[in-house]
Amino acid sequence: MPRRGDEDDDDLEPEEEEYQAYDEDEEEEEEEEDRGVSSRKRRRSEFIDDVAEEDDEEEDEDDDDDYGGGGGGGGGRRPRPKRRSGSEFFDLEAQVDTDDEEEEEDGEDDFIVDGGAELPDEDDGRRIQRRPLLSREDEQEDVEALERRIQARYARSSHTEYDEETTDVEQQAHLPSVRDPKLWMVKCAIGREREAVICLMQKYIDKGTELQITSAVALDHLKNYIYIEAYKEAHVKEACKGLRNIFSQKVMLVPIKEMTDVLSVESKAIDLSRDTWVRMKIGTYKGDLAKVVDVDNVRQRVTVKLIPRIDLQALANKMEGREVVKKKAFVPPPRFMNIDEARELNIRVERRRDPMTGDYFENISGMLFKDGFLYKTVSIKSISSQNIKPTFDELEKFRKPGENGDGDMASLSTLFANRKKGHFMKGDAVIVIKGDLKNLKGWVEKVEEENVHIRPEMKGLPKTLAVNEKELCKYFEPGNHVKVVSGTQEGATGMVVKVEQHVLIILSDTTKEHIRVFADDVVESSEVTSGVTRIGDYELHDLVLLDNMSFGVIIRVESEAFQVLKGVPDRPEVALVKLREIKCKIEKKINVQDRHKNTVSVKDIVRIIEGPCKGKQGPVEHIHRGVLFIYDRHHLEHAGFICAKAHCCIIVGGSRTGGNRNGDSYSRFPSLRTPPRIPESPRRFSRGGPPLDSGGRHRGGRGHDGLVGTTVKVRQGPYKGYRGRVVEIKGGSVRVELESQMKVVTVDRNFISDNVVVSTPYRDAPRYGMGSETPMHPSRTPLHPYLPSTPGGQPLTPNSASYLPGTPGGQPMTPGTGGLDAMSPVIGGDNELFLMPDILVSVRRSGDESVVGIVQEVLVDGSCRVVLGSSGNGETVTALADEMVVVAPRKNDKIKIMAGLLRGSTGKLIGVDGSDGIVKVDDTLDVKILDLVSLAKLAQP
Amino acid sequence: MGSAAAQIPTSFGHELRACLRCRLVKTYDQFRESGCENCPFFKMDEDNERVVDCTTPNFTGIISVMEPSRSWAARWLRIGKFVPGCYTLAVSEALPEDLQNLCEDEHVQYAPPKRV
Repeated sequence: MPRRGDEDDDDLEPEEEEYQAYDEDEEEEEEEEDRGVSSRKRRRSEFIDDVAEEDDEEEDEDDDDDYGGGGGGGGGRRPRPKRRSGSEFFDLEAQVDTDDEEEEEDGEDDFIVDGGAELPDEDDGRRIQRRPLLSREDEQEDVEALERRIQARYARSSHTEYDEETTDVEQQAHLPSVRDPKLWMVKCAIGREREAVICLMQKYIDKGTELQITSAVALDHLKNYIYIEAYKEAHVKEACKGLRNIFSQKVMLVPIKEMTDVLSVESKAIDLSRDTWVRMKIGTYKGDLAKVVDVDNVRQRVTVKLIPRIDLQALANKMEGREVVKKKAFVPPPRFMNIDEARELNIRVERRRDPMTGDYFENISGMLFKDGFLYKTVSIKSISSQNIKPTFDELEKFRKPGENGDGDMASLSTLFANRKKGHFMKGDAVIVIKGDLKNLKGWVEKVEEENVHIRPEMKGLPKTLAVNEKELCKYFEPGNHVKVVSGTQEGATGMVVKVEQHVLIILSDTTKEHIRVFADDVVESSEVTSGVTRIGDYELHDLVLLDNMSFGVIIRVESEAFQVLKGVPDRPEVALVKLREIKCKIEKKINVQDRHKNTVSVKDIVRIIEGPCKGKQGPVEHIHRGVLFIYDRHHLEHAGFICAKAHCCIIVGGSRTGGNRNGDSYSRFPSLRTPPRIPESPRRFSRGGPPLDSGGRHRGGRGHDGLVGTTVKVRQGPYKGYRGRVVEIKGGSVRVELESQMKVVTVDRNFISDNVVVSTPYRDAPRYGMGSETPMHPSRTPLHPYLPSTPGGQPLTPNSASYLPGTPGGQPMTPGTGGLDAMSPVIGGDNELFLMPDILVSVRRSGDESVVGIVQEVLVDGSCRVVLGSSGNGETVTALADEMVVVAPRKNDKIKIMAGLLRGSTGKLIGVDGSDGIVKVDDTLDVKILDLVSLAKLAQP
Repeated sequence: MGSAAAQIPTSFGHELRACLRCRLVKTYDQFRESGCENCPFFKMDEDNERVVDCTTPNFTGIISVMEPSRSWAARWLRIGKFVPGCYTLAVSEALPEDLQNLCEDEHVQYAPPKRV
């Protein structure tokens, strides 16, 4: 800091320095201030500090000023004349100032002013605003001054940039106002819209400003009209005079609000490039799928390859000059060209090399073939490329045998062009299908316009990677439950059972059939929908009477027809039936007698003991003319339906002597019913459920009303997540006794899921198996079934102990089958076989808490040596069979299969579907569908 | 506006192409012979290959702009600063990246078409 000897100056200087910093931009201000000198010093000290400190740039200059000030101070009096020349107004100030010291300071100011002279003189404008503020509120003035300075500094550089920026906000600024020309709608000759506006342009050029219109618009989608922009209608008419394509007798004004609509044309995105799937719009191949091989944008032509529809015989006839009978409306079916076949018919085939590509083509009377495909060059306008969604069949046909999946893949990726916005969402599992990162899996983190930021699965990569969405495909794993959201299978839900590159094989919830879909068309979803299950009055699984008095069950609903399993017991006969061929639905409920003269009614479980389906069993879904339609969910054909004669079946658990069971099972008052002797009767308790299993949810051998007494989980609604036992079914709703709240609530039937895995032994369950027991509502007290001490079922069920360990998960769901279901692994007596080493069990001894342990050894009497602790590090105990419950596996758990042919095999539970577990077997890597109850969680070593 | 008008398309059919930057519509031959009046830096007249890169046959609608500065429509379509001539309302493709860079080098603004 330069110092001068003057004491007065010492006082002033610090202030002055700061003031200078401020001063640079505020020269004029000072001038004004000086007129009111009295307030000056006070003001400076008050606020100027802030300015100097806040603004770095100013501070720099401040330093310079120090030197300048020092220099100026040193020879302060000498450069005065120069000062005057530098800035007139400071002289004024100097004159006003009476104090000499002040004058010297002004000398310093003056130096600074020289530096600041480069500053823009925009300040002139500001001064006006500033003036009144000065006297009023200094602080505010300060902020404003700063703001202005900043604005002034940046305004110049950015000015041009903002000028044309197309932001939406900016666009709003261009909305038409009353001062703008108006748009007028004028009729013109159809098809001459473009020509008309171009002619108007030509006329303008010829006549110059004489033509007082400002623009003319022809829209592609609006025929017969053009728009002309002008201030006055007369100008429009004048402009149109002499143009024969424009009929300007009637000119309509476009309301100002609609003006923008006229011009908002969505640019249709045509991504016509190689390998794009397109469809032919006209001719023989109309509607056919084709693949673009070449695009000539200049000539507006495109070469596509497609499966030829050529009648070789007709072609041969034609070539030989024989008469060709032109059959109208006959389109040969698509078939790959067989050159040898053509030669045999004496059709001339020339093999030529395409000079451009070097590929060889077979030329048959002007048509080019390669690998059996027809290569056709057509106008771009004669193909449609928007929203092309090839079906699987088409794609499969298109893939010539021998062509590997990779080529298919490349074309699959072109399908992505038709993706909707918001295709990917945060959290989606994706796989990269193109480029360096091919096959990298990850999860979507963020979606931008074209790029998707993914979090890669692989380590050692950046946290997120931006990948073009066209290089991404959704990724699923077997076991995922998905919903198809686009394509021909839209709406279907199911479980992924196999992933073949970007094609998923899904086990449909409805039809139990495998459907193939693109991974791209699918989202992960727990929703279970039926897809299309109904045409007209007929629904999947309905029993229908057909035209020719035959009858059958609808086992599949296709786009326009039903597949019907006919009521022919000897062999399965499936017919494809159109809607009009169905006479009516058969809904009559009748009973028949089985081989042992037991009455069989709908929902009873029967076993087939004769015929091709011998050994199968399941609930009866329909009865008609002595023929039963049995639903066996393990029967993979015909949607699980089996047709059998009633006398070839026996009711499961029925007595051999024949009973006097009759229609009372249909009583609406189950409590008044005489207790039947047959164990499966509890299922009749509530006959309120919908007669047909449409949702696919309650399919499976247990019928709808088997739901009563089962433990369910509420999936939706206010009680979502609650678990409880079904007390009653009323129409579409279910009354559920909540476990946790000790109350009964009514829940929509569709809102429950019945695949609850209960690890607590379900003491009540075995009573269903007891023929002698009166069927009653299993429990009125919610806690009852879970308390081992409750004298519920136990005393009544001498053999219940042997049931328990084996029925961890499935049991609550299988009261209807009563443990007698032969499909169920829960068969009394073979319990010893059931438990196996290495599985997790929970051991519960009377009174104690249950403890998880690992079975080490199964002893002869059914008891096991169990190592306590889930990792097997606790004490070893010997537990009785009825003290152990198999720990039910969850999705993704390693499991051991405890029943069936695969008993002893290990695997992974990749999914749960109702009471079925979908298991990937370790040894064979096969995916099997097994009863959940036969699966146990495997102890992790 | 004093500036001279652009060439007027000599036909109305398939030959028409639109400049991907300024959306001026002319025939392929016109672009090839005299380039684009608004975007001379593309030098389409010197390098005929450029015509294909810089223009597209896929566009929607035509607007003849007689008075770009006074026309509301031209302002709305952001072609108000270009020379009078025939333009299209919208093109469907974006300018190739290298040409976008060229625009940047030339300090001219380029706004890619908005995808719907």
